[in-house]
Amino acid sequence: MLAPVFSFIARRVAVGSVVLLGATFIVFMMVAWAVDPLADLRTSNVPNKQFLIEQRTEALDLDMAPVLRYFKWLGNVVAYLWGQGTFGVAVTNGQPVADQLAVAVPTTLKLVSASVVLAILLGVTVGIVTALRQYSSFDYLTTFFTFLFYSLPAFWVAVLLKQFGAIRFNDFLADPRVPIWAVALVALAVGGLAAMVAAGRPRGRLIIGLVAFAGAAAVMGYISASNFLLEPGLGIVGVTLTGAGAAVALAALTAGLSNRRALWASLSTVAVGAALYFPLQYAFVHASWPVLLGLWATSAVVGVAAGLAWGGDDRFVSARTAALTGLVMSVFVFADRLMKAWPSYVGHPRVNGRPIGTLGAVTPELGGTFWLSATDVLTHLVLPTTALVLISFASYTRYTRASMLEVMNADYIRTARAKGLGERTVVVRHAFRNALIPLATVIPIDIALIFGGAIITERIFSWRGMGTMFIEALRQGEIYSVMGYFLVTAALAISANIVADLIYAGLDPRIRVNA
Amino acid sequence: MTAQSNDRPAQPRPEPILRVSGLNVDFYVEGEWFPAAIDVGYEVHAGEVVAIVGESGSGKTQSAMALVGLLPPNARVSGSVKLDGRELVGMRASELQTIRGAQVAMVFQEPMTALNPVYTIGFQIVETIRAHSRMASKRARARALELLRLVDMPDPATRIDYYPHQLSGGQRQRAMIAQALVLDPKLLIADEPTTALDVTVQAEILGLMRDLRRRIDSGIILITHDMGVVADMADRICVMKDGRIVEAGASRQIFYQPRHPYTKLLLAAVPKLDLEPADAAPRLPSPPADAARPASAAIRQPPAPPPAPAEPGLGAGGAASGKGLSAEAGEPVMASEGLTLEYPRRGRTGAFRAVEDFDLRIGPGEVVGLVGESGSGKSTVGRAVVGLLPVHAGSLKVAGYQLNGIRPADLRRAREGVSIVFQDPGSSLNPRLPIGQSVGEPLALHRLARGKELDARVAELLEQVRLPASLRNRYPHELSGGQRQRVGIARALALKPKLLIADEPTSALDVSVQATVLELFSELQQEHHFACLFISHDLAVVELLASRIAVMSKGRLVETGTAAEILRHPREAYTRELIAAVPVPDPDLQARRRLAFERRARP
Amino acid sequence: MSQNQVPAPDAAPAPDAVPAPDAAPEPVAGGLANLTGLLPQGDLAAGAGENAIELKATEGLSQGQIVRRRFWRHRGAIVAMVFLAGIIVLVTTSIGWGPIPGWWKHNYSSTYPIVNPGGAPTLVVSLTEGVHIGEHPFGQDTVGHDMFAMTMRGAQQSLTVMVLIGLLATVIGVLVGATAGFFRGKADTLLMRFTDMMIAIPVMVIGLVLGHWVNGASALTLGLALAFVQWMAMSRLVRAEFLSLREREFVDAARVAGASSTRIIVKHILPNAVGVIIVNATLLMSVAILLETALSYLGFGIHFPDISLGNLISEYQSAFAQRPWLFWWPGFFIITIALSVNFIGDGLRDAFDPRQRRIPSKRKMARAARKAAAR
Repeated sequence: MLAPVFSFIARRVAVGSVVLLGATFIVFMMVAWAVDPLADLRTSNVPNKQFLIEQRTEALDLDMAPVLRYFKWLGNVVAYLWGQGTFGVAVTNGQPVADQLAVAVPTTLKLVSASVVLAILLGVTVGIVTALRQYSSFDYLTTFFTFLFYSLPAFWVAVLLKQFGAIRFNDFLADPRVPIWAVALVALAVGGLAAMVAAGRPRGRLIIGLVAFAGAAAVMGYISASNFLLEPGLGIVGVTLTGAGAAVALAALTAGLSNRRALWASLSTVAVGAALYFPLQYAFVHASWPVLLGLWATSAVVGVAAGLAWGGDDRFVSARTAALTGLVMSVFVFADRLMKAWPSYVGHPRVNGRPIGTLGAVTPELGGTFWLSATDVLTHLVLPTTALVLISFASYTRYTRASMLEVMNADYIRTARAKGLGERTVVVRHAFRNALIPLATVIPIDIALIFGGAIITERIFSWRGMGTMFIEALRQGEIYSVMGYFLVTAALAISANIVADLIYAGLDPRIRVNA
Repeated sequence: MTAQSNDRPAQPRPEPILRVSGLNVDFYVEGEWFPAAIDVGYEVHAGEVVAIVGESGSGKTQSAMALVGLLPPNARVSGSVKLDGRELVGMRASELQTIRGAQVAMVFQEPMTALNPVYTIGFQIVETIRAHSRMASKRARARALELLRLVDMPDPATRIDYYPHQLSGGQRQRAMIAQALVLDPKLLIADEPTTALDVTVQAEILGLMRDLRRRIDSGIILITHDMGVVADMADRICVMKDGRIVEAGASRQIFYQPRHPYTKLLLAAVPKLDLEPADAAPRLPSPPADAARPASAAIRQPPAPPPAPAEPGLGAGGAASGKGLSAEAGEPVMASEGLTLEYPRRGRTGAFRAVEDFDLRIGPGEVVGLVGESGSGKSTVGRAVVGLLPVHAGSLKVAGYQLNGIRPADLRRAREGVSIVFQDPGSSLNPRLPIGQSVGEPLALHRLARGKELDARVAELLEQVRLPASLRNRYPHELSGGQRQRVGIARALALKPKLLIADEPTSALDVSVQATVLELFSELQQEHHFACLFISHDLAVVELLASRIAVMSKGRLVETGTAAEILRHPREAYTRELIAAVPVPDPDLQARRRLAFERRARP
Repeated sequence: MSQNQVPAPDAAPAPDAVPAPDAAPEPVAGGLANLTGLLPQGDLAAGAGENAIELKATEGLSQGQIVRRRFWRHRGAIVAMVFLAGIIVLVTTSIGWGPIPGWWKHNYSSTYPIVNPGGAPTLVVSLTEGVHIGEHPFGQDTVGHDMFAMTMRGAQQSLTVMVLIGLLATVIGVLVGATAGFFRGKADTLLMRFTDMMIAIPVMVIGLVLGHWVNGASALTLGLALAFVQWMAMSRLVRAEFLSLREREFVDAARVAGASSTRIIVKHILPNAVGVIIVNATLLMSVAILLETALSYLGFGIHFPDISLGNLISEYQSAFAQRPWLFWWPGFFIITIALSVNFIGDGLRDAFDPRQRRIPSKRKMARAARKAAAR
């Protein structure tokens, strides 16, 4: 079973390498032809101009034909992969390309990973709902908005976000009282959406809409009245309540509420989380990212244990549901702790009451505890992530919708209904599992694209990631930096295609990778 | 004559399992409601098979899906459906859900698409059990295995963990039946359960269903268009047309004393295998339509041309000059020796040898039937003869040209003498071209006619296939299946070919349409004397037209002979099995044949 | 019993009957139908497809007419068409374009005295005061350029690039995709590897090369150059379409009839792939306008003093707080154009590929039932 997978991967990697070689060659030629690394020297008036020109010509082998330079560069890359040297040095600041990449790659990873996860979750959920409510007003509304998001220029959105999400919001935080009309407007929107999404007869939908309206109004009112935006916090009560809500929702979604054991397992996971709330506050004093990740993983283990402990025939289903609940619950606990750090963050002299960052990945020289810097990272991620989510969420929605609609018409869906399965099982187990197949193959390719293509977002929010590195290298005629960027993104794109094929084979038993 | 009624209770029990009355189904399309079933009513008793028979568009499937609310949202249902006295129409969805699968189970036509491709069959059966009961998963699995055994799944302990695509068509349908029966439903609805299967597999599945029916005591609704299947299975029959039940009654009554003209037509249109019981002497021509037999096949006696196209023993295809066994009368229009055909390797998938060592000769004006099950390579031969597939090895001479290694220019000339009619009338005409252009294309391409003359030829060709010349400006989607197939025939005749390949030309058509197309075909053959290789999976259809029959299996020629020889004195076991598997639309005869088939299958 | 009395569902004239002078396709037997497609499964094996209802709706229409009819039913697409047409008319006639004379009093390159404080727009739309266009409806920048004229000029450029990319990339994509899909084998492998290679090349590099080559891109050169790196998605789709269409029986039929490969491609396959091509050409255009503006925004597209919607925003984004109009108007035009094109594309997709059929609302169904009852 394994051998064909390896031969498949080997073959694809071989083909991919050829493509990569061809593409790097084309790009190298184009860039070599288009940029003039001596431009700044030619126009300068320094006395040793001629010497400098010769020196740079020497350093960059400019007297060599571009084709030869390409192969020399290629040799350097191979040598670098072998563990020797570096593939090129930037002329203007003498920085090795490898070092530039070592800075840029993690920055971009940080920037895009959250947005990718969010966009997929949101897009897929909305896509499924629109497919199930095809040609409802909710469907039309989402269609309009997805098209609108498609049509938004990234730079335009980013500028708007900067203005309204950061500058105006920070202004607003100085006196965070939500005007009554805004409360009413938001509550109305929430209520309307809930009524649109809900299924069933008009009466039931009206009630759901009203409940959602009242709930949203209450939450908004509470936020406004309690000064939540400046001194937020869930407390043990809030964490437990939201956790329980999540447990019920997850159980309903992944196991069905008729599966009582799954529900009890999830709820007991929430109970464990609540019980550990105060002990955890002490543990959080010495928190770091690895510790938190470890705790997060532990929460999933607790969930699995709870699921198995409740036993029953479907204990693995219960374990899965409870594990998901555990993960969500710990996020709430984490968020609660972050909220406690919020006032000190907002009051920090370097932040100065303007918490939403618009420039760079972190506030320089912030100092302080882990929680302060964690808050800082998140506040800097808010806007670029929103921009990226807005743009890529639309395509996931459309894709999921189309895929679900196609699957919902399949014969086996009728069979599933004929077997007497509930609507949840039909949709989740039979329809979505199949709709996932084409969807899962686009996702890796999309991630590769967004990784190389977050150029505009990076620039507007001044993140020194891959995009910025690329643009600046292009402007300054740094051919080796350009090639470094290109090598990474193109290799990523090619691997994404291979990964997509592997996922496809993994999800669809009909496909065998050696075929 | 009463032998086969023994599995049926002598007296129908007083309370039926299912009582349908005044059932109407309508569909909403573009602002209007269209009826799909009107005032349908019938009863199903325990242990009884009720067949609902009809052609496409008769509403037979829709009316059955309506019983348990499986229609799309643009449908509306009224009337009454009582399952054990409980009304199902208007029942709450959640309540109906508990009935579906548990009390009313379904088997669908195409098991490949009806089973979820990403789950094993075991999972899907277990899921059915656990949707309705709190049975532990181990026990549910044991139950699933038991069911797979019951439906004669080979090696069930292994197959239970197979995905649908890993099973053969027959095995998939067995899995589907196992899934349907796993909760001992009171009623089983089988929607064309064997239509997608080969005849031999169909015979097995039908045998299985008969067997099960004795054991499980469920009522069965069998929806089908195939009168042979009905004759094999049904206790009672409802004939549907245009949404209404036009005639209902006991099986023998419908077959032997049909009252409604549509029933008569339907029975008459079914091509019937002309087999004398076991070892009778060659039959006399012209079977008399005696009362005990179904209203005799009208297609045998088309009014106009006296020499019946399917005179047994003589063969339908005989042209006036070269009738019957006249393969040697002239230079054969098609001759293959040691013909081997391969689908070339593509990418990583290796070459696939579809046909091996195939020898066949077709004389001028001779109609040869090529019969085989799916995957036997019969269509591949047809494609090779018209040069759509290169000859891999051996010799293939068509219309005087050796096709092995032929140059493109010669192939073009060779194709003037041969043409092909395809199976799927929906796909064989370019949807973007008016049909006049499709028909005239061969003429235009071979520069045989242009302008006015071309128009005249096209009109002539359309009239030949009994289509008004005015249809030439219509597009394929505006035509019915039968009309499209006529257009296909007209196009194939445009170059006055010496040899015509007919690749399952009627298998996508309703029986009554098939009857008219077949009749047209045989008339044209007699008029134009073209030789024909008639490819079909349906022995009865082939027998109507062909003077000689070649049987293929797994890429090889099994045997050839005159139609009479093959049908009445088959030499090879495969041929015998093939013939025995075909259900004939005559309950008494079919009962005898089934007994013989079963005896052979289980000695 | 004779064959010609048979009231077969296939209402083709019976053999002996005289064919009616103009036999209509298929009399819809009693308004009944096999609603193939709307039902989970057609009735008979292999879909004999005597779909009377569909026939009824599309009787006597060519495929093109059917598509057009479906398109007109897509309300979003129609509104989008009106919007796009309006923009095109406004953009071409206002400041003039080539031979077309303009009616607007200002041009995009001159500076004018500042009218409103800060150069605020003079356009007024209010209930009390009515609509006034004023001297500079979209406002002015710090120097006094007329924002309306500049936006019009930018939209002209962006539209040019969009259409150029759309057309040229479609042509290249169709050529490559058709060749690969039809001939398969080595040609296919080679072309698809080449396509993979081209996909990898960053668009910015093209902008850079172009800048060096023609010393600053114009709308024309930018459109041409970008088309050479935007055809790949189209070629993949066309290839897939060709791969599936070439297996259809009508292609075999044409081959047996003696058609050459060229004829098969041009006459038989291409017309059937036209839906995919048109729909994707539209989507390509909506991507193209965003691409052009993004490139110009980053400085790799159209440079000042020439104007595009992208470099207008780039130029004025820092002034957002003080002069938001400099930012809103070009953005509004980009979004409206892209949104219209997207909606038109959606309408076209629905029209060409009606697989995702409409499920009518409960209300509509009830209305039809009442109507039927009243009758």
